[in-house]
Amino acid sequence: MLAYHLRIAAKSLRRTPVLSALLVVGIALGIAVSTAFVAAYHTVAKDPIPSKSDKLFYVTLDSWNPERPWDDDHPKDPPNQLTYRDAVSLMASTIPTRHTAMFKTELTVFPTTREERPFRARTRVTFRDFFGLFDAPFQYGGEWGKDADAAPQAVVVLDHETNQKLFGGRNSVGKQVRIEDRNFTVTGVLAPWYPKPKYYDPHNDSFETPEEIYVPFRWTLPMKFVTSGNTSGWKSYGPDFEDKLESESVWVQFWAELDNARQRETYESWLAGYVGEQKKLGRFARPLNNRLWDVKAWLDWVQIVPRSTKTMLVISLLFLVVSSVNLIGILLGKFLARSPEVGVRRALGASRRHVFLQHLLECELVGLLGGAVGVLAALPLLHGIERLTRSPDDPQLLQLELPILAAGIVLALIAGLVAGIYPAWRICRIPPAAHLKAQ
Amino acid sequence: MIRMKNVSKVYRTEHVETHALSSFTVDIAAGEFVAIMGPSGSGKTTFLNIAGLLDTFDQGTYLLDGQDVSRLSDRQMSKLRNEKLGFIFQSFNLIPDLDVFDNVDVPLRYRGMGARHRRELIEEALAVVGLTARLKHYPSQLSGGQQQRVAVARALVGRPRLILADEPTGNLDSAMANEILDLLERINGTGTTVVMVTHDPELATRAPRQIHVLDGRMLDLAAEVSAPLFRPGAHASEPVFGA
Repeated sequence: MLAYHLRIAAKSLRRTPVLSALLVVGIALGIAVSTAFVAAYHTVAKDPIPSKSDKLFYVTLDSWNPERPWDDDHPKDPPNQLTYRDAVSLMASTIPTRHTAMFKTELTVFPTTREERPFRARTRVTFRDFFGLFDAPFQYGGEWGKDADAAPQAVVVLDHETNQKLFGGRNSVGKQVRIEDRNFTVTGVLAPWYPKPKYYDPHNDSFETPEEIYVPFRWTLPMKFVTSGNTSGWKSYGPDFEDKLESESVWVQFWAELDNARQRETYESWLAGYVGEQKKLGRFARPLNNRLWDVKAWLDWVQIVPRSTKTMLVISLLFLVVSSVNLIGILLGKFLARSPEVGVRRALGASRRHVFLQHLLECELVGLLGGAVGVLAALPLLHGIERLTRSPDDPQLLQLELPILAAGIVLALIAGLVAGIYPAWRICRIPPAAHLKAQ
Repeated sequence: MIRMKNVSKVYRTEHVETHALSSFTVDIAAGEFVAIMGPSGSGKTTFLNIAGLLDTFDQGTYLLDGQDVSRLSDRQMSKLRNEKLGFIFQSFNLIPDLDVFDNVDVPLRYRGMGARHRRELIEEALAVVGLTARLKHYPSQLSGGQQQRVAVARALVGRPRLILADEPTGNLDSAMANEILDLLERINGTGTTVVMVTHDPELATRAPRQIHVLDGRMLDLAAEVSAPLFRPGAHASEPVFGA
């Protein structure tokens, strides 16, 4: 019977092609706008690492000024990064499955050929666990050995593009790259990798691509690496580089992988013990405020989804509702014009349910067609949003992923339902005799 | 087949009340061929609509094939219409974008039959009305007479016990009208009850029993079969009783 209703619905749409096109366009407009904004929202709000987002924790400690909170608007919040000395100390724990302190810097890379000019590469200064923590995929080789985390070793991991630039995309493991004033040996090359958002360090541009090169954290002191991210401080310190490393300024991020609740509790106790020791040394004057943020909580805290994106999403969905509601009148008129046929069908045995279902399916067919057209139209719209909000040099961020396409079609079916449920209900409630009289 | 007792139907608008049927009582036995006559607005179509479960009534009782229909749900009434009733309308009421086969198929679709069984019944019904060669024709490709024959095929395809025909010849010339009447007589000859509303006194005389409806009430002319039903030259719908 469903197939029969669908066939009748399709015939009905073909009977009035202009009106049907109008209905489809009405739904398509709403779907195009809402799908584009749902896609934009999805890109910024989705779980960037669903396989382990509940096991990865961003670590914060409150070493801030006892006289004044880090954030006046949210006085209970700790600083969003760690001091260098705390980050290094936390690396002493053996409790997490993986953990890393890290920050972003910029280093000069000298290409192997004389024809190429040196360039500044966005660099992540980190520990080897970084790659396993965030599932960074390797195309060649792998992360550096444990020794390079213990003492400075001139090893480096390149991203796909940098390897392309320096070695033409060939396997460069074991090859030398000159960075600043010394040669580093390549231990691994990452496959193309673009987590959206860049959740492990969203402080400056949460949607930029990951860094181009990765060097061991232990080079921070010998090479005097300076963060190119945010630094917040409340206490002055001396002019030397070592003074900054010993200061109370926060500029290092810290992540730990904790696989279960017990591991987490143990780690929390360990952190409390560490802060307790530091208190005895005269630091951490504020109340104990250690936090472990899982990925979702972390992204919520740093407000990864801008308010404007949420607002646009709501407006686009309202636009779809208005588009659907506008179609109610057109559908009602279309259905009432077909009243005699409904009368005949009722006389021949169609129940109210049959009539309702037939007309609702016609609306859903309109919804489906409108959804298909709308989803296609969302592509250029999404491209337009990307061009308006990002620089032309940025890599493509917004994409219509399969779940969003499916969501667009589902939204279209809901829109068809919203538009059609009242006209279908009205037409099925009219007594058959009244339908026949209408001819 | 149809047993109505004191059935009343009032149409109400904000200011006007129209008594379409007033204490209408009629008894039509299974296998009868009855012509319903009456002037415009007399209530004959209302009677047909109520008899065909297309409209509700306000008072009285109506037994269709022995079943009290007053408390049936929409679903039950639809099932009854589908299984026991066949309708023929003055303006054929074929669905324009369905071909002949699909038009005749409509009642069977709502019965949930398998495709093969439906095809057999449809071909049989179209054979009865002589249109087997026009299966794939659309209503617009058929003459008025052919369209009404398709409508007759549609009415009888489900093998109903009762056929209700509302002015089935109203849009046809006399030759075509006689053809349709021949068909109805043949259908009645198989035991199917036929109730036909008509304005045409000549056609009405082909029904063994005529019922005249006036002001929503019934005048049964069964007893008057031997007497002339209408004055020669009188208007078709003009009653002659009391003359």
